[in-house]
Amino acid sequence: MMWLSGGFVFRRGTSAYHRLDPRVKLLLSALMFVTTLLVRAVYELAIVLTFMIAVAALATVLRRVARTMAFTALFSAFIFALNLVFTRNLETSLLYAVRFVAIVVSTSLFFITTSPDELEQVMKTFRLPRDVIFAFVTAVRFIPVMMLDTIQIMDAQKSRGLELERGNLLRRVRNMIPVLIPLVVNSVVRSGELAEAMESRAYGAVPRPTSLVEYRTSLTDKAVAVAAVLVFAAAAYSFYFVLPTQLP
Amino acid sequence: MIELKDVTFVHQNGVKALDAVSLRIESGETVAIVGENGAGKTTLVKHVTGLLKPSSGTVLVDGQDTRGTSTAALSRKVGVAFQNPDHQLFSESVEEEMAFALRNFGFSPELVENRVAWGLEMFGLEEYRKSSPLVLSGGEKKRLTLACILAWDPEVVILDEPTVGQDSIQKEKLTGTIRMLRSAGKTVVVVSHDIEFLWPVQPRVVVMKAGRIVGDGPASTLMLHGSLLDSARVAQPQLVSFYLALHRRPNQPFVDPLEARRWLEGESAGQ
Repeated sequence: MMWLSGGFVFRRGTSAYHRLDPRVKLLLSALMFVTTLLVRAVYELAIVLTFMIAVAALATVLRRVARTMAFTALFSAFIFALNLVFTRNLETSLLYAVRFVAIVVSTSLFFITTSPDELEQVMKTFRLPRDVIFAFVTAVRFIPVMMLDTIQIMDAQKSRGLELERGNLLRRVRNMIPVLIPLVVNSVVRSGELAEAMESRAYGAVPRPTSLVEYRTSLTDKAVAVAAVLVFAAAAYSFYFVLPTQLP
Repeated sequence: MIELKDVTFVHQNGVKALDAVSLRIESGETVAIVGENGAGKTTLVKHVTGLLKPSSGTVLVDGQDTRGTSTAALSRKVGVAFQNPDHQLFSESVEEEMAFALRNFGFSPELVENRVAWGLEMFGLEEYRKSSPLVLSGGEKKRLTLACILAWDPEVVILDEPTVGQDSIQKEKLTGTIRMLRSAGKTVVVVSHDIEFLWPVQPRVVVMKAGRIVGDGPASTLMLHGSLLDSARVAQPQLVSFYLALHRRPNQPFVDPLEARRWLEGESAGQ
């Protein structure tokens, strides 16, 4: 589970995609996200998904995106089964199942290549309230910390004879209580300590604090953004007016 | 009892945490594993508990290969008190916290009651019996986690950084607890930066650096190797520094640090 969830966490990279302005990366992910909602046939969705995989390869995060896809496969299978039961339509069920994977991949591409600091800058450009930005970015920043906490808590409880993988589903859920309680308590304590530490370092003292990094969109960023919009427009046009909507 | 044969462990990110480590710890031995942060001390003890399996090499506990044994099964023999007590406390009361592992191991209710009462008395926690473990102070939480481990009477007791957050009185008590465990024939492994509190126990000391064992021997001789300790970023015990400072002067009064300790203890008793 930890191996799978690692597919959503940011790690520094040196690829051209990593170096893009975070706002351009957001635009790319948003366009891919919207495209997955626009398509009406499985083969069209397969084209979009292939494009995303190509982007992931370009960003040298293919393995991690594969983890993301593996993580979502379980939920995707559930969506497929549920749709099949209620709609009794194989293609529609498959479309929804694959669309879910594509949606998660499009968003994870943004999060695994964008640092929390960049994320903060992106949110600032939307002029969101500072406290909201801080809360969101801190939550993102603490995901790896909480994952590490979870591993350590599981280790501690296993060392006291707790067998997490033993018993039926109900028993396994109950076995997670000794892991979840310390995890929640630690998180609450940590958030309190963080609040005190922030206040002691003058958080909120001025309404508009200065920023260490000011992002300026480069020519490459602008070119990528324009190209992305053009590709999106071409794809949307093709899916609606050129390609057949039914499976051939 | 515990044997690591040529153990190498590589993390998923490719970092080598243990590099061809071989170590044999006999039953009843008291061993201090010391070294700087990231030296591989905690990784090593996690191999003994079966929480980590070696990338190559073998770890045997009581002749059992940890690769084929679950942590839960190994923990009946090996009890570990981890560095951060907040990573294990979750029950409604201190007594429930102590009973948790005992129930996992299938102890009878009478035995659970007896062992809980023993642990609470042993570690001075009776007054908190019905309190939530989450409201205890840092030092009390540490004591509780140790009591939780000793309650099921494991053959091997591993203490991971037990002095963190403890005042000097609690450190002395901890030293006493280690002495008590040794006299009870337990194998005690202490992972620590702080060799000072272990000095009176005179353990075997294993010095680690960058995933390798760079020193192994009795505390009385190993602690004299200043350059080795410096390279592993381990501070010499004050008494050893005192002895070495005297040793550089003419007519030095002690033949070794242990004699200096005996003299100091005699002086303290005389006062």
